[in-house]
Amino acid sequence: MKLIQLILIPSILIFMVIYFRRFRTLLVDRLLVLGLCLVTAALVVRPEWSVVLAKALGVGRGVDLLFYLGFVGVSFFCLMLWSKQRDLDARLTEIARTQAMDRARDPQA
Amino acid sequence: MAETGAGIPPKDIFVIVPAHNEGEVLAATLKPLLQASYSVVVVDDGSKDGTWQILAKMPVYALRHPVNLGQGAALQTGMTFALRKGARFLAHFDADGQHRPQDIAALLEPVANGEADVALGSRFLRSLDEREVPLGRRIILKTAIVVNALLTGLWLSDAHNGLRVLSREAAAQIHLRENGYAHASEIMIQIRHLKLRIAERPVRVHYSRYTRAKGQSLWNAFNIVIDLLLRRVFK
Repeated sequence: MKLIQLILIPSILIFMVIYFRRFRTLLVDRLLVLGLCLVTAALVVRPEWSVVLAKALGVGRGVDLLFYLGFVGVSFFCLMLWSKQRDLDARLTEIARTQAMDRARDPQA
Repeated sequence: MAETGAGIPPKDIFVIVPAHNEGEVLAATLKPLLQASYSVVVVDDGSKDGTWQILAKMPVYALRHPVNLGQGAALQTGMTFALRKGARFLAHFDADGQHRPQDIAALLEPVANGEADVALGSRFLRSLDEREVPLGRRIILKTAIVVNALLTGLWLSDAHNGLRVLSREAAAQIHLRENGYAHASEIMIQIRHLKLRIAERPVRVHYSRYTRAKGQSLWNAFNIVIDLLLRRVFK
């Protein structure tokens, strides 16, 4: 086994342990993360599989395929975080607005 | 109490002033509004410069966001509050002293006589008002007119003027969700969607060193467009 595989495989395992112990997410999210980790681990152990897949998809090089998939994945993740952020902002706004109205000072006060 | 030119008692007109760190100029901005006997609603948007303490000495409705949310959020808080207090007409008025209080009456006229649901101030209807706008800002604003038209479907002579007057019915239908400066375009989108009638009236904007420093940068304008586009994708 190569040195990089000795570093990456335990890293993926540690990530999985932290994710499944600390994050109480939906079943579909857990399955997605599990699938992603298994695919990543498989590609770390058998990097030539990415070349086979890349050729089948017409990309050519395995590294290019992983770069494209990585870009799509990161973009999707950013949009998901942005969407959650907006949702949190909206809730904070409602709380702040309610408090502001409850504590409003009248001109006579 | 003197009536406005449109025959409306000034107390029925609620002037909403969102304020964030405007302690330096707030008292001077509010004074003529109070002299005109308007009902003034100031929403302190989480200021840290003593704005709230200044409001304690003034005969205004004072509300305070516990954290800074943005001008759009402060305007919506002020509108919701004014409607609860029975406002017949609502005016948006910037706290930095850039607007002239007498322009409220000019904007009120088309709304009060039923000609429009919303009246918008414009710096570009009279050449003497336009000359007051510094060249750099004029270029940004003229560009904003085109971008705003593409985003909202409304061609206006001035896209981002903070001085507006709304009827009670119009204000009750509008709900701003853009907390930041993108609310200026969002309100246009909602006006178009709700099929509200618009009137534009000439207003003068005073550009002091203070108001220029508080104004929009080009980078901010870019962020507003991105915000609005993302909002369209993720409704």
